[in-house]
Amino acid sequence: MTGRRIGVVVCQCGGNISDYVDTEKVRREIEKEGDVAVAKVEMFACSDAAQQATIQDIKDKKLDGVVVCSCSPKLHTATFRAMASRAGLNPYEYTQVNLREQCSWAHTHDKDAATEKGIKLVRAGVAKTRLSEPLTRIRVDTVPQAVVIGAGVAGLRSALALSDLGISVHLVEKSSKAGGQVARWGTLFPNDRTGSELVDRLVHEVSSRENIVLYLNSELVGKEGRVGDFTVKIRTGTADTITLEVGAIVVATGFDPYTPKQGEFGFGLPGVITLPEFKELLAQHPNPIVYQGRPIRSVAYVYCVGSRGPTNEEGNHTYCSRYCCSATSHLATVVSGLDPSVRQFHLFRDIRTYGKYEHLYETALRRGSVYLRFTEEDPPTVARDTGGLVVKVHDRLLAGEEVEIRPDLVVLVTGMVARENDALTRALKIPVGQDGFYREVHVKLRPVETVVDGVFIVGAAQGPKNVAESVQSALASVSKSAALLMKGYVDLDPLVARVDPSLCVWCDECTKACPYGAISEVEYGDKHVAEVNSVLCKGEGACVPVCPKQAVSVRGYTNEQILSMIDALAKEAA
Amino acid sequence: MKVDSGFLHTLHLGGEFDANLCMNCGTCTALCPLGIELMPRKLFRRVLLGDKESVVGQSETIFSCLLCRMCESNCPAGIHIAENVRSLRTYLNHEVYGLAEA
Ligand SMILES: Cc1cc2nc3c(=O)[nH]c(=O)nc-3n(C[C@H](O)[C@H](O)[C@H](O)COP(=O)(O)OP(=O)(O)OC[C@H]3O[C@@H](n4cnc5c(N)ncnc54)[C@H](O)[C@@H]3O)c2cc1C
Ligand code: SF4
Ligand code: SF4
Ligand code: SF4
Repeated sequence: MTGRRIGVVVCQCGGNISDYVDTEKVRREIEKEGDVAVAKVEMFACSDAAQQATIQDIKDKKLDGVVVCSCSPKLHTATFRAMASRAGLNPYEYTQVNLREQCSWAHTHDKDAATEKGIKLVRAGVAKTRLSEPLTRIRVDTVPQAVVIGAGVAGLRSALALSDLGISVHLVEKSSKAGGQVARWGTLFPNDRTGSELVDRLVHEVSSRENIVLYLNSELVGKEGRVGDFTVKIRTGTADTITLEVGAIVVATGFDPYTPKQGEFGFGLPGVITLPEFKELLAQHPNPIVYQGRPIRSVAYVYCVGSRGPTNEEGNHTYCSRYCCSATSHLATVVSGLDPSVRQFHLFRDIRTYGKYEHLYETALRRGSVYLRFTEEDPPTVARDTGGLVVKVHDRLLAGEEVEIRPDLVVLVTGMVARENDALTRALKIPVGQDGFYREVHVKLRPVETVVDGVFIVGAAQGPKNVAESVQSALASVSKSAALLMKGYVDLDPLVARVDPSLCVWCDECTKACPYGAISEVEYGDKHVAEVNSVLCKGEGACVPVCPKQAVSVRGYTNEQILSMIDALAKEAA
Repeated sequence: MKVDSGFLHTLHLGGEFDANLCMNCGTCTALCPLGIELMPRKLFRRVLLGDKESVVGQSETIFSCLLCRMCESNCPAGIHIAENVRSLRTYLNHEVYGLAEA
């Protein structure tokens, strides 16, 4: 017994937990533990009513520690820390135990064993809380500047909106020209503006802003520091490297069009081209439509090339590239506008002209395009014989009968793939998903944030997007950056490493282990010891196991706490 | 079947044939008092795909249509079915039976 007064809430998660873990039994067992002042079961611990009841308990029973045994800490640590604060309890006196992902969901086949394990996990949570201490968040001043990487529509739009808010922007573009890919596509859906018109306007606007600096032929090559106060290195066109202080980093590096493999739907045969190639051809020479000196009288489009495959292996991406059904249907109307007698056959799997783009499909139909649906298992074939190109497809509307088309041009409707950007990814330490695109923290709730605080991903760098969607995410990142930079400071988690100088003998082991360069040598009395810069430290603990004197520990996860948790886990049920 | 682009061209340029928005629901076929399974849904699909051979082969069916418009007044896609049947007849008269326009 330590004299602490700990409250425990065991959550049923509406059955997610209580269907497999006997929550009442867990509660009874935990109530017997020393220092537990109250233990309750709730249907949903995160509901307003349950939080209110817990707050009341904290106040009435003068609790100095709270353990909620519910779901993954990723989901609700912030929720319950805030609850503790509202009750007047230091939020770092709160501990979350994961009874759902790590217990009930994992052991649905054995309820007794799941309950046993649940009891142990909760005991460990209580043990950790016995040794918890109040902590204060670390306040850091933010630098009111941002760096935006990539000057496509997404990057340009982010830069302008940041500039509107008075935040200075360094816009870094790898190629020799700002604008990204949109400028190549000629007429765009949905409003028939040309891509070059669109980006020229943005680039012109950017160049007129005093608080935006555009660096062409440039790349980000290094990043240090943390949210609100990063130091980034930019290798500029003139090959010298400059250092910038920025509060936020916006990654807008875009995508690459998928390049089909040789032979994939006839790719490599004369007359078989990709959608980007056809768009560029029409953007440059709209009328008459001529390919390699031959007039084009008929076109067959093969949809979903490189998208919606069965696995994420090379050339077989499982996602839908989103832009291509709309872009191709729109393109068909552009073609029929140029020459209504051109016959156009669309070989598709599903038409995804979603939302406001449905009219593109209808207009294409009205203007004479014919759509033929095929299945993933039975794709069309493209070949060439003495008479020219031969496309064969089974038409669902003719009960699977084979239709043979002899078009002048086959256009492969290629999707979007992640752009190769390994050096940047390594420099920023941001995660990439299975599909190769940069990964957000939460698809629905935190779509432009990454696990690295202060680094945002926008536009097609995060996943396939059309222009409107790219701009939406660009603006979302601006509101997130502004929330960070305009307040003037950020409060960081105080769960960082600390060195006990009386134990430290300055052997330098921890400095070598730290990936963030957060540890340095300082004088302490008549000896030298290690000291942790709590702003640079991420609390990941690489220094802890290497210290021969056990002089380093991470706040909130001290050596004593971890040992007491292990003891609690190993304790046999009474 | 093979797409006959000459056929598509003639129909598209010369005739008024327009069934592009047909969604293949089959309402027309169900309502046709003649109960001709092919009419108009399947026939129209073949026309759109340029299946000249089969369209010509069905000329008797095309001429048996009563032009009663039972199908047309119920078509959810608003296809001018009777007009289409007429333009197919015109095509057959010109191109297959060699009749001059009246
Ligand atoms: C054939 C085709 C037709 C399309 N048609 C339409 C349409 O009609 N309407 C529509 O809404 N959408 C259309 N799209 C989608 C549109 O192209 C994208 O939505 C848009 O390009 C995404 O913008 P972005 O800024 O995210 O990426 P991008 O346009 O790819 O720009 C990214 C920029 O980042 C730069 N960059 C990359 N890596 C680095 C690095 N490491 N450092 C610095 N800079 C870097 C690149 O050089 C580039 O300038 C089409 C796409 C294709 C393929
Ligand atoms: S948008 Fe259309 S063509 Fe593109 S991947 Fe999705 S379904 Fe296929
Ligand atoms: S009723 Fe109209 S839409 Fe339906 S199948 Fe017949 S022609 Fe097509
Ligand atoms: S117009 Fe012709 S196809 Fe339509 S219902 Fe009458 S007979 Fe049948």
